[in-house]
Amino acid sequence: MSLRQVTSGTDASRIRIAFASRRGRSSLAGTLVLWATLSHAAPDFEKEVAPILEAKCLFCHDSHAKKGKFDLSSAEAARSHGSFQDLVDLVSGPTPEMPKDEPPLSEAEVKTLAAWVAAGTPWPEERQLAYNPKRDLDWWSLKPIQEGLVSDSTGSGRNPIDVFIDRKLADKGLKPQPAADPATLVRRLSYDLTGLPPTEVISEHSSVIGGIKLPNTDHRLPITAADWRSLVDQLLASAAFGEKFGQHWLDLARYGETHGYDKDKPRNNAWPYRDYVIRSFNEDKPYGRFVREQVAGDVLFPGTPDGVVALGFLAAGPWDLIGHIEVGEGKLDGRIAKHLDRDEMVSTVFNVFQSTTVQCAQCHHHKFDPVRMEDYYRLHAVFAAVDRAERVYAGLPPEQEKQRLELTSKINTLKGEKSKLEGDLKKLVSAKTSGVDQRIAELKEKHGAPDLRPQYGFHSQIVKKPDEEKWVQLDLGKSVPVAEIRLRPAYDDYAGIGAGFGFPLRYRVEGSDDAEFKTGVTTLRDATDRDQANPRTAPVAIAAEGRAFRFVRLTATKLVERKDDYMLALAEIEVSGAAEAENLAKAATVSAKDSIESGERWRKTNLVDGIYHRELSDDQALAELHALQTERRAIEESLRSPESERRIETIGKELAPLEQQLKAIPQGELVYAAATQFNQAGSFRPTGGKPRAIHVLHRGDLKAPGAAVAPGAIPLWPGAPETFPGFATEGWDEGKARAELAEYLVRRDNPLVWRSIANRVWQWTMGTPLVGTPNDFGRGGMQPTHPELLDYLATRLRDDPEQSVKSLVRLIVTSEAYRRASGHDEANAAIDAGNTCHWRANRRRLTAEEFRDSVLAVSGKLNRAAGGKPFQDFIIEKPEHSPHYQYHLHDPDDPASHRRTIYRFVVRSQPQPMLTTLDCADPSTSVPSRDESTTALQALTQWNSRFVEAMSRHFGERLRQEAPESAEAKVELAFRLAAGREPSAKERAVLVGHLKDHGEESLARVVLNLNAFVYVD
Amino acid sequence: MSIEAPHRRHFLGTLAGSFSGLALSDLLARDGVLSGTLHHPPRAKRVVQLFMAGAASHVDLFDHKPLLEKRHGQPWDPGETVELFQSTPGACFASPWAFRPYGESGKAVSDIVAPLGDVVDDIAFVHNLVGKTGVHSQGTLLQTTGFVFPGFPSAGSWVSYALGSENENLPSFVVLPDHRGFASNGAKNWANAFLPARHQGTVIRPGSETPVADLFAPKSEFIRPENDRAGLDALSRLNTLHAAARPGDDRLEARVRSYELAAAMQLSATDALDVSREPEHIKKLYGLAPEGPGVDDTTINVKAETEFFGRKCLVARRLLERGVRFVQVWSGNDNGFPRRNWDSHEDVKRDHGPLAAGMAHGAAALIKDLKQRGMLDDTIILWTTEFGRMPCSQGSQGRDHNPFVFTNWLCGGGIRGGTFGESDEWGFRPADRARASSVYDIHATILHQLGIDHTKLTVRNNGIDRRLTDVHGHVLREMVG
Repeated sequence: MSLRQVTSGTDASRIRIAFASRRGRSSLAGTLVLWATLSHAAPDFEKEVAPILEAKCLFCHDSHAKKGKFDLSSAEAARSHGSFQDLVDLVSGPTPEMPKDEPPLSEAEVKTLAAWVAAGTPWPEERQLAYNPKRDLDWWSLKPIQEGLVSDSTGSGRNPIDVFIDRKLADKGLKPQPAADPATLVRRLSYDLTGLPPTEVISEHSSVIGGIKLPNTDHRLPITAADWRSLVDQLLASAAFGEKFGQHWLDLARYGETHGYDKDKPRNNAWPYRDYVIRSFNEDKPYGRFVREQVAGDVLFPGTPDGVVALGFLAAGPWDLIGHIEVGEGKLDGRIAKHLDRDEMVSTVFNVFQSTTVQCAQCHHHKFDPVRMEDYYRLHAVFAAVDRAERVYAGLPPEQEKQRLELTSKINTLKGEKSKLEGDLKKLVSAKTSGVDQRIAELKEKHGAPDLRPQYGFHSQIVKKPDEEKWVQLDLGKSVPVAEIRLRPAYDDYAGIGAGFGFPLRYRVEGSDDAEFKTGVTTLRDATDRDQANPRTAPVAIAAEGRAFRFVRLTATKLVERKDDYMLALAEIEVSGAAEAENLAKAATVSAKDSIESGERWRKTNLVDGIYHRELSDDQALAELHALQTERRAIEESLRSPESERRIETIGKELAPLEQQLKAIPQGELVYAAATQFNQAGSFRPTGGKPRAIHVLHRGDLKAPGAAVAPGAIPLWPGAPETFPGFATEGWDEGKARAELAEYLVRRDNPLVWRSIANRVWQWTMGTPLVGTPNDFGRGGMQPTHPELLDYLATRLRDDPEQSVKSLVRLIVTSEAYRRASGHDEANAAIDAGNTCHWRANRRRLTAEEFRDSVLAVSGKLNRAAGGKPFQDFIIEKPEHSPHYQYHLHDPDDPASHRRTIYRFVVRSQPQPMLTTLDCADPSTSVPSRDESTTALQALTQWNSRFVEAMSRHFGERLRQEAPESAEAKVELAFRLAAGREPSAKERAVLVGHLKDHGEESLARVVLNLNAFVYVD
Repeated sequence: MSIEAPHRRHFLGTLAGSFSGLALSDLLARDGVLSGTLHHPPRAKRVVQLFMAGAASHVDLFDHKPLLEKRHGQPWDPGETVELFQSTPGACFASPWAFRPYGESGKAVSDIVAPLGDVVDDIAFVHNLVGKTGVHSQGTLLQTTGFVFPGFPSAGSWVSYALGSENENLPSFVVLPDHRGFASNGAKNWANAFLPARHQGTVIRPGSETPVADLFAPKSEFIRPENDRAGLDALSRLNTLHAAARPGDDRLEARVRSYELAAAMQLSATDALDVSREPEHIKKLYGLAPEGPGVDDTTINVKAETEFFGRKCLVARRLLERGVRFVQVWSGNDNGFPRRNWDSHEDVKRDHGPLAAGMAHGAAALIKDLKQRGMLDDTIILWTTEFGRMPCSQGSQGRDHNPFVFTNWLCGGGIRGGTFGESDEWGFRPADRARASSVYDIHATILHQLGIDHTKLTVRNNGIDRRLTDVHGHVLREMVG
């Protein structure tokens, strides 16, 4: 049997056969073992053998994964596959079969295993093995950042970036491209730093405009260093810089303005975080502070709006409204939702700030990187008390904010108790009544021809409070013995109520010979101590046991709600005397405390007219229905407890004034962010800062919790903390835990955070990153093309007292590497086709946002208003349940939508069609690099979309206005606006021809689709 | 083939600037990463996924439970505490519809899906499917992407990525949504996520005014056929000049070609969507209404549901014939009111009745039509939903979610008819809890039939080698013979 068959087989018996056949041929292995035993004392299983197996074998061969049905988790399981010697054979030799697709075991490790088998040291039966890798920090990104890299190799006054880049170019034999021409450079810089065409952002009075506005400027002349620097400074100082770099950050932060998932409800106060990001880049906020604010700004910078708004980062991702609000933590699905929610936060924090993937450690220790399950769950603990919700960041004095939080907390507690009491009853009732309900539904379906006649019955005046007493009474004419009184409930579809309309929650029925009910009153039914189940249409029978009286009175002591108001209604009162069929009430006169007397619909006389709502057409079915309804009512009443009813009532009374007080406090400015205090919604309740218990979950399964953990981080570099001092596995200060994590992230000796941001700034400026996987510097990712340059940039940013991102950008764009032409060179391409060495500049397509912004800009329609509420380029239909975001209904001429794309309302479930087709980022997850695809659907959207059609009209009009003199002038202006240069003779000829035949709008449509517009050289 | 190739290609594809030699081949090549190098000989070439949004009830459609009829109205005791999505478990609730046996196998299906009785012997029922959650959004994502949270490619995107397209003038992955709205998660159910954008599902709305967005010029004061044509011509000349002045960058040429492909797509898509020339007996087979998509839908009814679903099935067949690789057909919109989806918390009979009748009519027509054209041999039909519904009642006539067991069925593409996996006597959990099936198994089986080893179709994203089947999945061997 070949080795291949052994390793690729999935059949346990085949492996066993393979084992058996190998047993006979191990004389060579036997010799090795003999040699090994001579040079080794018998190894200790626990100290020497188990660690090798746990680190090298158990990832695939534990009791769960059992790759190839091969289980090494216990001695018994291992023996079932063959002898331990077979195990040694599998990992020995020049090309060992195992570990599959991984580096082989070291010689020493093989020797230890061989010696163990030879010596026969036992594997204790009770010893269970599990995957347990060594924490291996021997990886480029985890090593300390190299310092002082450039000083000894420079001195020439050159930009240090060029020193690093040129060194590699020389090593590879690559000849760099010359500097690009001024018009190209100006357009490139303008898009890279602001995302807008130069005509939009560069002042007309600037001395350096690369021939863009002044046709006489000779654009073959190189731009002087001083002029270039002044242009760079001008663009870095422009508000558009933050809008461009902010978009890069929002891609990483998976920023969206709806929750995603089911219903995809809008998140109307997410935008302050978007403005915070833009502002932070424009103000050149020190990067360390930017990081700290986004993890624990509320704790580290208390009293600053930014400290709260920045927490929008943690909350920016999707959120499962149903899982949190409708299901809640009382159920497993709700706890799963909470777990996934934290996983999303933890993963994003580490992907974005540390370029480290931790999410695999949810189920097992990371296979490649030093991230263990405990590490991962310690991070869960850091975020164990926060949820995603709206919170106040400004506009409220601290005193009032404190008061507001206290009130909210009290209200939430009371509401929680109330909904639990009500929920418990509902559960009890529905468990006991569903059989009855099924039968009722069947009866209604079979015989349901409701007899709706206008003479509904009696209806009292409407009042604002439930506790106002109402009464209605019958005068039977004389005192007579009464056997039974039946109350027939009314029926009215008003406010969707239907059966049992107006039937009192609490009431009593009395008989007397005194019309005033002051003397000689017999109480026949007292139902005033607690709320009664609504009888629906079933008659409520009250036994009178032959007692004699002239007057019958129903007194309601607690009225039922109609629609924000209260009243008493009843269809019929029947009174039977000695003879059963006789209805003594028929001839009775009716009086009441008050009555609405509304035509034939509602009047006192209707109470004794024999007309009432009959739900079913068949009498027998109706009788059964009423019996079932009575049974149901009895069940419901038997389950109501007076204590909990009283408690619910008390809670209602306590809540009212608290809610009044809360209403009196101004709302303040809200941001959607990580929060521990917010208004309760359904089952979504704030923790108030009390962290949820976090356990290591076996295989990531909430049903299999292991040890509880305290907050901490991952020891990813020597000296990094594992646990935070002073934290236990319960009752910790959640804010302090987040602050500890924030400080961990920005530590000077953290090699990841500084390399991560240096790599990103390079990518955002040069077009490609130095490390090809910007969110993953681990062993699954790529390695830096220029490790020394990366470390140089990282130290420069870290050690800059201002930790200025702009200063790093300035350094990069003033390099020669940045200013090269993007031209082709066969010889260079043969060596470095992907341009990883930067021998030329990277030509790039406009991003989705740049395309849209530029179309608006050249058409003269771009509204540069910054910040604030987002514009919507869709119409919302059916907002009450699951909003439908209808882009095709939006009018592209709506000026409110002519702002920069970063200010649009970002919907998750229904992404903006044009932007998505143009590869804009998906806000589901952190996106470190945009795709740049070329598809037929892009051609369709750029040529045919209503947006491009509308802007072509405006662009055409602009050409008529600004270049009225000639077709040539119009073409020249259009080309300068769109492509940032003058057209060539051929280009001019084609466009002038088209303009003359088809007009300005059609010309504009062509220009907006030109490669010269869509690509930046 | 080496598994490295897709990685490399993907890496290059995501890094702006590193495009040489890729853009044009990406645009033009109908090839997927596995074209010509499949892991084993395929049995099927294309897939239709019929998705019942809102969670269709297995015990009312395909999974007959006589015990429920016997115990109807009596308290339900499955012998364990049951935590439901909205409610507490009610009494046993028999299906409002009778089940009757069909075909040689005598497999019983419900009266509301009777049309599928004609083809029941061709269908492979999996009655022991288990989900991970009773929340719609997560359950839907699990069935469409294999993960319970967003950010992962749809099965259709993976298939497009692996196999490419058979017709460069049509998208390889087409989505036919319910015209009344998207299911929960919206476009995330057909997103390409970290795969190249051309593998995202393209939405087509048969019977609507603009079935494909931006396929033709919008209503305009200035666009006329002659300037439209002349404009494209000028554009082509200018973009060709631009590309010629910049050698070594095939993205520029690819963009020139993309406009030609777009023009070709105008013709192909129009042709594919034009069902008017289908013969009368075919229109009748699919149950198209004489009044077309404008059929009265004021209250939910069988005629309208049959027209809606039947038209999508017919268009699906026309797209498949023209080389579309994967078609997703949706029945039911988001969970709004009045209900036009399968989420029958209140009244199974009211919603499931018309929806199922329409679905069964269209699905049976699709199977028969593909069969008579010889296409059923290499086309897989997958019928799925986010989870099932409970054997007990919610309120009096509704059913709550059941993620603990539900039904999928497959048909065609070398799949054998029969029942592969049973639920317990209630339809509450799998009969054998240790051997339940999952969406990973269904996806693994479909990929297997397409010639793909589901463990080898991977793409690295944010440091992890991602698969449609995550780290799970077994091919349902008995089903594929």
